[in-house]
Amino acid sequence: MGNLLRSMSRIPPAYFVFAALLATLWITKPQLMNMNVLGIFIRQVAPLGILVLGQMLVMRVRSIDLSGAGVLLLVNYLIASGLLRDVPLPLVLLLSLGIGCLVGLFNGYLVARRRVSAVIATLAVTVIITGFVQFLASGKPPGNMPDVMNDIYKMKWGPVPLPVVLWVALTGLMAVFLSRFVYGRFVMAVGENPTASHFSGVPVERTVLIAHVLAGFFAGVAAIVQSASVAVGSLRLGLEMPIDAVAATILGGVVFGRGDGGVWGPFFGVMCFAFLFVVMTSFGVPEPGKQITRGAIILLAAVFYGLSTRNS
Amino acid sequence: MTQPTGTSRKTRAANRLFGRNSRQGNWWAALLIIVMTTILLIATTDDFATPRNASNLLAQAMPLIIVAIGQMIVIVLAGMDLSVGSVMSLTTAILALDGAPIVLIPLVFLAAAAIGLVNGIAIVRLNVHPIIATLSMQFIVLGIAQLLRPVAGGSVPDVVVNVVTGAFLGIPAPVFWAVAVVAIGWKIVHGSRFGLHLFAIGGGVASGQSDTAHNFGLKDRRNIVLAYILSALFAALAGFFIAGRIASGDPGVGSQFALDSITAVAIGGTQLSGGVGGLHGTILGAILMALLANGMNLANLSAFLQGAIKGVILLLVVALQSRKKMGL
Repeated sequence: MGNLLRSMSRIPPAYFVFAALLATLWITKPQLMNMNVLGIFIRQVAPLGILVLGQMLVMRVRSIDLSGAGVLLLVNYLIASGLLRDVPLPLVLLLSLGIGCLVGLFNGYLVARRRVSAVIATLAVTVIITGFVQFLASGKPPGNMPDVMNDIYKMKWGPVPLPVVLWVALTGLMAVFLSRFVYGRFVMAVGENPTASHFSGVPVERTVLIAHVLAGFFAGVAAIVQSASVAVGSLRLGLEMPIDAVAATILGGVVFGRGDGGVWGPFFGVMCFAFLFVVMTSFGVPEPGKQITRGAIILLAAVFYGLSTRNS
Repeated sequence: MTQPTGTSRKTRAANRLFGRNSRQGNWWAALLIIVMTTILLIATTDDFATPRNASNLLAQAMPLIIVAIGQMIVIVLAGMDLSVGSVMSLTTAILALDGAPIVLIPLVFLAAAAIGLVNGIAIVRLNVHPIIATLSMQFIVLGIAQLLRPVAGGSVPDVVVNVVTGAFLGIPAPVFWAVAVVAIGWKIVHGSRFGLHLFAIGGGVASGQSDTAHNFGLKDRRNIVLAYILSALFAALAGFFIAGRIASGDPGVGSQFALDSITAVAIGGTQLSGGVGGLHGTILGAILMALLANGMNLANLSAFLQGAIKGVILLLVVALQSRKKMGL
């Protein structure tokens, strides 16, 4: 019995929640269960899914990245504001990815070399970027997004929307990267025990630093996809996205230092979010209710893992 | 932290300068900046040194001082409370409900104590990292506050407004608040067995063994739970003060206070890794933050830039603190 419970607790909660949500939706709103509608739901969380790839990586090396909100806001502003009107779009997108990597590098330096608490460092980075962007925009919402981006966003590959294809492809690449490359072993070792890894010759600082740079890169990609999904730029992007990313990652069985859920656990964690807010809206739950759910998911999933790791 | 033998005189001087061997941390840097800022403000502006402005400044600094004392209590034991801002918002939302003050005021502190209890139990019994526990609690409590009061408005009982903005014997109420809060904080942190145990628990964590205090027979779990309850209660008190000043409920009022309180605590010399810190440093840190805000307002700096500057200050302060642990 104890063994069964223990092996049950190794399965990420995301799979159960996903099944439960799908069943609820199937019983209460059967008309939504067709490929087109589901595709739109899943397309909406593609930016979150891409952000989660980075979040998962930093959480496996016992860090966290809440600076995604800042990167999202900055890239959103750069593309929509027309500051770079004369620069060709591909170059702007490259610049966005560069900004993501740079922010990630800065986070990585603070966390790995200066040993700053990751929550404080990345939250402060978000606060700084947010204040700076709002100052540049003097509080007014920026202009429109280029139409090309939205057109690409709406394209489909067979029945599957293009952003979802990108998301799945990046997730697959990540899975291969973590399982076939030495860096993946380093990530696992650092997560299990940083001190032992250090004395076994694993470059702990560099591993954490690279994880943060990659997280920044994924935040840049997520920011581009998110910008493509809206017609008008916004300054109202809050902390919700990185918090949802943390929740989805924990839901997917990846907690600080432990990666039981692999890459596909967090993937299904994000899929849960695709349906969670749909189900909540269809039950008439108001916006603050979603706020509460967000917090409760993180807390419950963290408790789930806290209890299952306490005795081992 | 003991001084390893054989360290050079230069290292020892640097350690002393940054307060690395002191239990109080480096609080005098904050004092120095406060003195310099005050002199600068007196020299450059006409109406800074008036009793009226001093009283205003105290009233502006008061919420941060109160919430920073609570934040310090949990930071000293190597924790952190990110839910304080939401607790403040919830407090104003509850006070602005329809109801008798005799019901509402105790309700505020009961709710805060319950939130602190949940934080504490999640951390010590359910083995959740303090930052994750309080981060999720921040969203849950904010959601409840938004349910009670979706947009700013309503009115709080007259009693709350009078206690905060009134005067007694010609002395404005915030002065009494300051004396009372400092006295309570001093008793808790530096004048009780609980306070001593805080430093013992946090010092153990900072030195790398999370159960040192436990092995010496301290009731560490119950002390940690109590610390989170106290932190939430101080946040509720700060929310009470703000509710009296704005005389209404506002679910967004506390959004800045989680990071601001951590900045104030860190600037006052308290180490985020635990075990080192002091009440006087924290109060100086909170006053410094209020002075900076006041100075930036006098200099007509954009509110958005002020936010960014506060973020830079936080980053600078925490990057200068030394810590062994990497990550969260």
